[in-house]
Amino acid sequence: MTPYDTPAGPPPQGGGTPHTAPDTAPDAAPDADRALLPTATPARTRAVVRQLVRPHRGLVVAGFATMVLATGVGLLTQPLLGHIVDVVTAHRSPDALTWPVVGLAGVAAVQGLMTAVGLSLLSRLGETVLARLRELFVERALALPLERLEQAGSGDLSARVTRDVSRVADAVRGALPELTRSGLSIVLTLGALALLDWRFLLAALVAVPVQAHTARWYMTNAVPLYARERIATGAQQQQLLDTIGGARTVRAYRLQDGHTRRVTASSRAAVELTMRGVRLVLRFYGRLHIAEYAGLASVLVTGFLLVRSGAASVGTATAAALYFLGLFGPVNTALVLLDDAQSATAGLARLVGVVDEPAPPLPAQGAARALGEASVTLSGVSHAYVPGRPVLHGVDLHVRPGERVALVGTTGAGKTTLAKLVAGLHQPAAGRVAVGGAPPKESGGAVGLVTQEVHVFAGPLADDLRLARPDASEQDLRDALAAVGALGWAEALPEGLDTVVGSGGRALTPDRAQQLALARLLLADPPVVVLDEATAEAGSSGARVLDEAAERALHGRTALVVAHRLSQAAAADRVVVLSDGRVLEDGTHDRLLAAGGAYAALWHAWSGSRSPDPSPAPAPSPAPSPAPREPARD
Amino acid sequence: MGARELSGRDVLVRSVRGQARRCAAGAALGCVHQLGEALVPVLVGVVVDQAVAGRDGGRLTVWLVVLAVVYVCLSWSFRLGAKAGERAAEESAHTLRLAVLRRVLDARGGAEEGRLPGELANVATEDAKRVGAVAMALMSGAWAVAGITVSAVALLVMSVPLGLIVLLGTPVLLWLGHLLGKPLERRSEAEQDRAAQAAGAAADLVAGLRVLKGLGAQQAAVERYRRASRVSLAATLRAARAQSWQTGLVLALTGGFIALIALVGGRLALDGSLSLGQLVSAVGLALFLLGPLETFAWVNAELAQGRASAGRIAQVLATGPAVAGGDEQVPSPVRGELRLRDVRLDALAGLDLDVPAGRLTGLAVTDPACAEALLSCLGRERDPESGSVELDGVPLPRLDPAQLRGAVLVAAHDAALFDGSVAANVAPWEEEPAGGAADAPTVRAMAAAHADEVVRSLPHGAATGVGEGGRYLSGGQRQRVLLARALRAGPPVLVVHDPTTAVDAVTEAAIAAGLRDFRRGRTTLVVTNSPALLAVTDRVVLLDAGRVAAEGTHADLVRTSPAYRSAVLA
Repeated sequence: MTPYDTPAGPPPQGGGTPHTAPDTAPDAAPDADRALLPTATPARTRAVVRQLVRPHRGLVVAGFATMVLATGVGLLTQPLLGHIVDVVTAHRSPDALTWPVVGLAGVAAVQGLMTAVGLSLLSRLGETVLARLRELFVERALALPLERLEQAGSGDLSARVTRDVSRVADAVRGALPELTRSGLSIVLTLGALALLDWRFLLAALVAVPVQAHTARWYMTNAVPLYARERIATGAQQQQLLDTIGGARTVRAYRLQDGHTRRVTASSRAAVELTMRGVRLVLRFYGRLHIAEYAGLASVLVTGFLLVRSGAASVGTATAAALYFLGLFGPVNTALVLLDDAQSATAGLARLVGVVDEPAPPLPAQGAARALGEASVTLSGVSHAYVPGRPVLHGVDLHVRPGERVALVGTTGAGKTTLAKLVAGLHQPAAGRVAVGGAPPKESGGAVGLVTQEVHVFAGPLADDLRLARPDASEQDLRDALAAVGALGWAEALPEGLDTVVGSGGRALTPDRAQQLALARLLLADPPVVVLDEATAEAGSSGARVLDEAAERALHGRTALVVAHRLSQAAAADRVVVLSDGRVLEDGTHDRLLAAGGAYAALWHAWSGSRSPDPSPAPAPSPAPSPAPREPARD
Repeated sequence: MGARELSGRDVLVRSVRGQARRCAAGAALGCVHQLGEALVPVLVGVVVDQAVAGRDGGRLTVWLVVLAVVYVCLSWSFRLGAKAGERAAEESAHTLRLAVLRRVLDARGGAEEGRLPGELANVATEDAKRVGAVAMALMSGAWAVAGITVSAVALLVMSVPLGLIVLLGTPVLLWLGHLLGKPLERRSEAEQDRAAQAAGAAADLVAGLRVLKGLGAQQAAVERYRRASRVSLAATLRAARAQSWQTGLVLALTGGFIALIALVGGRLALDGSLSLGQLVSAVGLALFLLGPLETFAWVNAELAQGRASAGRIAQVLATGPAVAGGDEQVPSPVRGELRLRDVRLDALAGLDLDVPAGRLTGLAVTDPACAEALLSCLGRERDPESGSVELDGVPLPRLDPAQLRGAVLVAAHDAALFDGSVAANVAPWEEEPAGGAADAPTVRAMAAAHADEVVRSLPHGAATGVGEGGRYLSGGQRQRVLLARALRAGPPVLVVHDPTTAVDAVTEAAIAAGLRDFRRGRTTLVVTNSPALLAVTDRVVLLDAGRVAAEGTHADLVRTSPAYRSAVLA
């Protein structure tokens, strides 16, 4: 018996009502200019599911057949009880009770066994299909062009892979078997009623219009209400995280009153929406009670009429009444689960939407590493993310094989955009980008990209590194770690390279995560590298370690380094100063210093009095604004 | 909260007591509902017995009307009772949520010690909810008792032996199901844990998508995921099988029990000691009884969860303050001189430091832990183990901590931005202006911190939302908004920690100049190793090994102190 299977009416537990669907994952920020990833149409979703189910047709047939059998056998209970009633009515000998009672026991055993087998088969079917869908989803998600993902916002994909996958999985585990059982119970019970006498079926169906109408009314109102409730609950959670995460700041700036007000308001809003959901569910149950009464009364009246006219025995009428009482549980279960099923269907459509999204095939690992000449050439490259707001204007740049070029400039000068174009993440709006003579490919190409985004993959440290080169030996891993100065701490971890790191494991500091990123780069061994990391804080000892690590990771490669610290610029073969999307200065560190332009001003300001030897001036009073002044934008 | 430590029990009792009237109403109404539910199968038996078997139309009408009345009562009592219960649960959760929040935000701090923000937020949401749900669980328990009592009375009135079989048999049945199902359940839980890992792995790969693309490692990731997914699938299937067998087992046991009742009841009915209708009712009641008994099991689980949650809430509420709280007023006007004597805390080893009033002082460290310890003392996040910290000659622990923060503001390096517009973040204590336009002091502060440039690049200027924790801004943009907020607050003493680490060198130099001009004449301490910032200070202090190692202007120190050079000029 499920908690819902109380013989009459809904479960009294508050915890069981369907409105409590706490979904704390914040919904992706509703951003007007986002182009979310697609959601599949119902027809397409069905088609994909059919396609996934097709290889398991045997399971489908076996699972459903067993469940039909189990439910059917279970329905013999009521006629057997009815038969006992008839034995009593006819005042027969107590021995006449034996075979119906043995029958009841047999029914129980067979029903239990069949249900266990049937549910196992159904869950095997559901779980296998779900696993396949999950794999297809991940495969496609990893192949989608980054540009497409950025349009959709990073939250969209991660919400699908967490929330939607878990909703569908919950439905496969909970709602699907329950709905199957309830559905079969309902259909077969109605059939059994018809077998007793077709007029009992008609009587029972009196309840159906009320139930159908109630279900439709409920779904219409519940879906938008629960969506609002989820958003409110998410907002409340978010507000709490925002405030509690910033508790020190709240104290420092004495913002307690304002934040308490905000939390109170968001919590109150969530409470009121939850209560609206409660009221809706309770009205829903109220209407179902009406349906129950109408159906029960009409079955009893029919029994009365049939017994009076001699068309049925008292036992048959009893069986019919018991059948109808037995319907309450499955009907309530089915109606309650409609909600879950609906939300799972929506999740499924979002998963299928991604699976259906066109994406280039995944490149084989390291396939395109071979490159004629590891040079990078940009000619007349312009780019704009939003039309009319250009970020780069006609940039020309040539990086010779093995040369290291540092990009220097203010935030918004276009450094990162330039880096992304070279890495092939975006196509330039005008002009041409060539790596080794060909346009760069987003992935699997000749360019390795290390960005500001550090991510440590959950799992053993060695597995994290092997993503870059799956066939790397233990020694390769150690060499790579040693080269970036990470072998010391890696070996000091409790289980060395087998220590589980990342989410759910040991957390690594940003500096170490960045070292790991550089070690991966060494293992992947691309001829051209774009480095855009800004983890280390200027002046910190971490910065020195990372500079040395980068030094070794970049050795012998053509490199474009977005300089977040001027020490990175000083270590490069050539420095390119970008300003407002244009190349302002281009030359070696020494030449630019000697030229006394923007870069020189910057360097002096940064290094304080440690001006290069030729300059005799002690601590130059810092230039109030050494920046190459940009004309006001737009 | 008195001398006695607050316990989880106290939290539970207070929470339920706070909703006593709703709880009582819910319990009473729920009992009426249970009575009605129990009566339905009884009435069906009566109808079969008296009307159907007796072929009496008049009685049929009478009993159907009675059944209708019962339905109206059970339906409405359920509706009103459940509503009262849910309201009680929600309200007490709301009250607890705010209590946790107030404790966390308390000026004397301490509640976050050793707890992650997500953990605390969880206490304020999930744990509060579970404690709230205890009200509902207690009510459901009361309803179940009522349901069982009613059925027991009804059964015993009909027939003592049959009543005893049902009353004693149902708990045994549930217990058997529980006992036999337990190994399966345990196994299933372990398997489910393992199964959940596939979902985690997928989310993890998606989160690291850019890194994978940068390496061209998608194929390796896909293959790895497929393996994880298959392992997970195998675990899930084992769990599902265990669960299926449990379901089948419970079904078989219930069916067997019904057969037993039918056997005994049928014999009693043939004896004439039980009427036909009573037999039908007994079967119906046996099925009904499973409901309240299952509710008991559920209530028990809820109570256990509620107790654990209440314990966690009590722990948060009972956490001691991080700093001693004085109640003296801050002397006014604040001159703004800070004096530290022999301060020891973590890396600070007897620090003597004077921050003169009205000047811009720089503080460089060889060990970042020194900076952290110093800032937590000045911000009164922690008290030093020994030594004294004074503002204008008054020791900080004597002052009211909230008031003190109005005089000495520590702008932490990792300070938080809050969901809202840029303008609302820079001037959070102001009413948010319509349209998000910034007022004149805000504009000035933003210009000094070079946050005006940030604002110009945002789609809606200062009215642009920054997202939770400022996630829509880049690191450099965030830092400038943070600095603008610190400047806008305009405290007599401002301590800024590493305000420009994520800012490019060009902007950093401009910010240094802006900071110096904006704070001219007021006490400012800049804790940083950035040469661009240190160069604009009046005087720099270098901390090494927890004490002052060198003092002087930036230029002097660069010339004379090798330790300073190596700390500052990486």
